[in-house]
Amino acid sequence: MRPAAAAASSRQPSSSSCTHQVPRAENPLLLLPSSRAAKLSLGCPILDRLLSGGLPAASVTEIAGESASGKTQLCLQIALLAPLSPLSASCLFLHSDLPFPLRRLRGLAPKSRPDLLDHVLVAAAHSASDLVSLLSRAQHLLAHPRRLPVRLIVVDSIASLFRADFDASPADLRRRSALFFRISAKLKELAHRHQCVVVVTNQVVDVVEGEQGNTVAWSSGRRVSPALGLAWANCVNTRLFLTRDADGPGGGARRRMKVAFAPHLPERACEFVIRRDGVFGVEPSER
Amino acid sequence: MEIADLPISTSHRAKLLAAGYSSLAALSAASPTRLARDLSIEIQEAEDILKVAVGANKSKGVDGLSTSSVIKGAQNAWDMLSDEQSRKHINTGSADLNNILGGGIHCKEVTEIGGVPGIGKTQLGIQLAINVQIPVEYGGLGGKAVYIDTEGSFMAERVYQIAEGCISDILEYFPYCHDKALSGQERLKPESFLADIYYFRICSYTEQIAVINYLEKFLQEHKDVRIVIIDSVTFHFRQDFDDMALRTRVLSGLSLKLMKLAKAYNLAVVLLNQVTTKFTEGSFQLTLALGDSWSHSCTNRLILYWNGNERYAYLDKSPSLPVASAPYAVTVKGVRDTVSSNNSKRVRFLGMLSGANWAPIFEH
Repeated sequence: MRPAAAAASSRQPSSSSCTHQVPRAENPLLLLPSSRAAKLSLGCPILDRLLSGGLPAASVTEIAGESASGKTQLCLQIALLAPLSPLSASCLFLHSDLPFPLRRLRGLAPKSRPDLLDHVLVAAAHSASDLVSLLSRAQHLLAHPRRLPVRLIVVDSIASLFRADFDASPADLRRRSALFFRISAKLKELAHRHQCVVVVTNQVVDVVEGEQGNTVAWSSGRRVSPALGLAWANCVNTRLFLTRDADGPGGGARRRMKVAFAPHLPERACEFVIRRDGVFGVEPSER
Repeated sequence: MEIADLPISTSHRAKLLAAGYSSLAALSAASPTRLARDLSIEIQEAEDILKVAVGANKSKGVDGLSTSSVIKGAQNAWDMLSDEQSRKHINTGSADLNNILGGGIHCKEVTEIGGVPGIGKTQLGIQLAINVQIPVEYGGLGGKAVYIDTEGSFMAERVYQIAEGCISDILEYFPYCHDKALSGQERLKPESFLADIYYFRICSYTEQIAVINYLEKFLQEHKDVRIVIIDSVTFHFRQDFDDMALRTRVLSGLSLKLMKLAKAYNLAVVLLNQVTTKFTEGSFQLTLALGDSWSHSCTNRLILYWNGNERYAYLDKSPSLPVASAPYAVTVKGVRDTVSSNNSKRVRFLGMLSGANWAPIFEH
């Protein structure tokens, strides 16, 4: 730390519950993944290569895709991998789609390690304001670590929290996007303060005329965008898009994971399959 | 007291004498800019020399005629013009982009850069934080950077990659300089590029205000900072602000403060902004966030947008340059020229857009 920076004082009041007294300049060298924030592996070398090693800590990653594209499967998979990874962390799994997919989680957990389920903390969020208050309470949980500290937060899914309660009127849209930014700021604050990996899943909507600027992809023959519009797109650091084509080998669906945008990754994609034991990437040559 | 007796470094003394400043009287008539030009040194150094000279004059009891102008830093238009011409620009990494910006990002000015998520705002911000550090002998500014991150998109591994790209380009363009300057070789390490970025991660708008208030003090202690980047200025101001008038007041206060800092410390301020959809007359349009009054608070505005599959930058506002647009690319090395761009196409595109607003590109 730079002594000059530490010597200064700040008299600004702060609404944040956990602020530094003085703005501190950090040295980016100490932020390199090798020295501090390890990445969370997806449990598959091909997918990890797509993401340059896995999901980054202190950053919010969105996984968008239509239903049955593998979003929840992927989330359950990383929740079980977190205790075994170099992060050796437990996972806070906030779900809004009821009920929680407990059977799938148990199916994914290796038979020899039933204790892995102990490290998945589950809570249901029924509305957007519910999620905000859950995140405020999570702050306490993260600040007072259990046996394994929580360093993975999953929100599955963000879109279903906003399905109701909001009209299409300009006032409601404004209220809605203010809530996006509040949730995102909270998630990013937790991610930064506790070096958490944050994963948020999102549904897709058909692209309508007049909606511009958002990510667009083809999936199952439809032109789709991640839900919640451009405002939410501003709230995530990395966006992964899961899409599906019907023309896969043997008539099956061909699934692709695409990096739509990320501060540290180029736009690229790879194919993957969903097997009973999880989500795995496919080498292009294997087709 | 004579020039030879001034308590300044010997190299400065030699330069002064070589440039014909033989007496204190001659020196006291000079402005910092002129002195910097005559001696080919930094303005900062020239000011230091003049301060010493004024001090020497005072102690002698001589009231130099132009000491007041030295102290207050008053300039005439000629000085301002030559100051502007000698002012350095921060390379964006793309020659096309530098062209429409008149050489690059300007020091002493506030530049706003906006665009949709994934267009490359953060990439450009990181690129500038690296490029500002290109040593003077390689045509850069040799300065340091302050990076205020409000969104958490500053990824150290990407910064490292861009620093490596920058160094490999320097070595490619200056093979001879590099062989000569062994001391320079030691400096050209990605690690040192990273270490010379002062990185602030802030998590709320109150912290953002606090950091900007603190900058004044910080810059006093770190005079070699040549760029301040806020990525993004918007994020924390899009939540929980019911009182829009208050938000406008806070934001214009911030921009005023940043503008002052840019002038006082001879540095560039770059504010990254998000894009939002605006509902007007029954249709949605893309526009930069933070409202109309904010749009007046930056000197320059650059808008990044997709044109098909190519990234383009559009200079939307500038006090001295015409509106223009240029393609750019984000590569492994960072922001660069598009490889496929051929000149004829670019000219055609420029012609198509000149005088037009950027909005029609997005409109239906």
